[in-house]
Amino acid sequence: MSTTVTETADPSGSTAAGSDAAPARPRPELRSSRRKALAGSLANVSLAAYFAFSLIPIVFILALSLKSNADQTTTYLAFSPTFENYRTVLGIGDGGSSYVRFFLASLVTSVGAVLVSLAIGIPAAYAAARYRFRGSEDLLFTLLSFRFAPELAVIIPLSVIYQQLGLYDTFVGMIWVLQLVTMPLVVWILRSFFQDLPAELEEAALLDGYTRRQAFFKTVLPLVRPGIAAVSLLAFIFAWNNFIFPFTLTSSNAQTVTVSSLAFLGGNQVQFNLVAAGVVMAALPPLVLALFIQRYLVRGLSFGAVKS
Amino acid sequence: MAAIEVQGIRKKFGKLVALDDVSFSVADGEFFCLLGPSGAGKTTTCKSVAGLVRPDEGTVRLAGHDVGDVEPNHRNLAMCFESYALYPQLNVFDNMASPLRSPRFRLSDDEARERVGRTAEMLGVAQLLHRGVDQLSNGQRQRVALGRVLVRPAEAYLLDEPLAHLDAKLRTAMRAELKSISHGDLTTTTIYVTHDYVEALSLADRIGVLREGRILQVGTPEEIWDRPCNAFVAEAFGKPRIGFVDGGLVDGEHGIRFVSSDGAVEVPVPGVEANAGEAVRIGVRPHDLELHPGAEDVPAGRVRVDGVVYVLEHLGRQTEVTVQVGTALLSVVVPREDVPDLARDDRVGLSLDPCAVHVFARGEDERRISS
Repeated sequence: MSTTVTETADPSGSTAAGSDAAPARPRPELRSSRRKALAGSLANVSLAAYFAFSLIPIVFILALSLKSNADQTTTYLAFSPTFENYRTVLGIGDGGSSYVRFFLASLVTSVGAVLVSLAIGIPAAYAAARYRFRGSEDLLFTLLSFRFAPELAVIIPLSVIYQQLGLYDTFVGMIWVLQLVTMPLVVWILRSFFQDLPAELEEAALLDGYTRRQAFFKTVLPLVRPGIAAVSLLAFIFAWNNFIFPFTLTSSNAQTVTVSSLAFLGGNQVQFNLVAAGVVMAALPPLVLALFIQRYLVRGLSFGAVKS
Repeated sequence: MAAIEVQGIRKKFGKLVALDDVSFSVADGEFFCLLGPSGAGKTTTCKSVAGLVRPDEGTVRLAGHDVGDVEPNHRNLAMCFESYALYPQLNVFDNMASPLRSPRFRLSDDEARERVGRTAEMLGVAQLLHRGVDQLSNGQRQRVALGRVLVRPAEAYLLDEPLAHLDAKLRTAMRAELKSISHGDLTTTTIYVTHDYVEALSLADRIGVLREGRILQVGTPEEIWDRPCNAFVAEAFGKPRIGFVDGGLVDGEHGIRFVSSDGAVEVPVPGVEANAGEAVRIGVRPHDLELHPGAEDVPAGRVRVDGVVYVLEHLGRQTEVTVQVGTALLSVVVPREDVPDLARDDRVGLSLDPCAVHVFARGEDERRISS
């Protein structure tokens, strides 16, 4: 480097002094940047390895869903793929099947549960973030306990209550019980979003002449939209994936896709390939939703990590 | 416009006492400064007036009416928050126009645009109107926050440290601007919170000094400067700070005198409301002191004390000389050319006018005991 500089600066004269002074050893900052690059590529390689590892079950279930009855118990990937399983599950050319109905039931109950939890959870989370009163923390903790208490502990009383109230195997009943799964999630996550917003924003809106409700809708709500998007998706996935409640509280009318996929395991022949086809299709809605709101999701999940 | 009357408000946050019996009144159209160190309760006082904090005790009256049960949006006050509290999802124009679009203070779009334009021009943010709030520097945000207040006429303005985050040059300019607004034709009752005594002295019609949730003194800038009610208030105003000397009162042949504990300072204190033998602390403002580098006699009526130069700070055309007199340190500001050869540890004299000496009692409250 120094040689070039000398030469350009003095093209006519002697360049001997300049060449002599040229350093032979690499500079220390160059070595450390090389070490950093090495560490970076090592990290990339291990990330790729982990990515491949975590893809194995997905690849496996995709492959299984494309295997014929004869191939379904083999584990290798060399087989002639067929869409026959999907056709069977959906009942194409067979006058339709109940799978489609259960799929729709899943959609209705999961979306319903998310909407109910948002309608109640957003105001609840806001109140929990802004107003502290005697027992407010206990109340929130009780709500959270719905999340970590084993569902099995309540399933028998719940089942009896549902039978007696006439909620058994109804959509309203399913939305009600799934909402128990999603509500704590909505309240706890959104509460931290609301807490991250300075209360002075609403105070400023009040002094600008807005009512408390207008202040909430005009200044606060727009700012937590990423959070609402993220929590809606999470809540939807939890509701969609729930197995134990639809398994015990529904039979044929409001049964969901998680339970109905199991139906192919009964009967005179166990058909893993049909289960796989059902499961692959059942995984689509959360996936599509996640792609759809990805932009919000990243912002939503990293919210609060970096203060602006 | 309305008078504000705060009477005996107390506020506790958990165990912390934020306000302890705060009372003051602001006349219609008056510019009132609340001055105090951070944590003194200035913001809480402001928010109590705005209705954002509900005092545990005491009343707030606006134009004679108790507003204890009036929601903040019905008090018709405008407040500038120290944290700016700008709406991050709106641009500068929409932030400033927000009060003019609210159901209570709605103006037509044209009128609102005109008002915002005029206010932005005055505050020097006219070229930023279409920027997002996140693209502004702190100084610009602060001016936008101030603009959101000034854009509409209100019963009173509550300004919480509105100039704190501006750089020194801009702060001086904005201070002058605020002064011309507040003392112009359209005077609006204003409570102005600051920790900067220069702002308070320059802007205020009257000043209230807060410390640890208590109002120590309320008065005009002249009263507060000339007759600080205790040592804390005396120390809060003036830079360099007032110098203190501890000692006691003794009877002399020409009346009562102050003698410092180390005997280095002896000065008559006429008009002191205490008896000989009492331990007191005297304060002398740097501008009431004169420096005498030589051994010459001091002018008649002044008292000379001797010490050595402790610190010399050259500040442009002026030099701040801190002189050690006995164990006490007294600062004095002199023109630089007067002390070209002065150096550390030089022996110098200081002279002071006994009438300019503030005498404070020793003890918890260090209250003023000289007239």
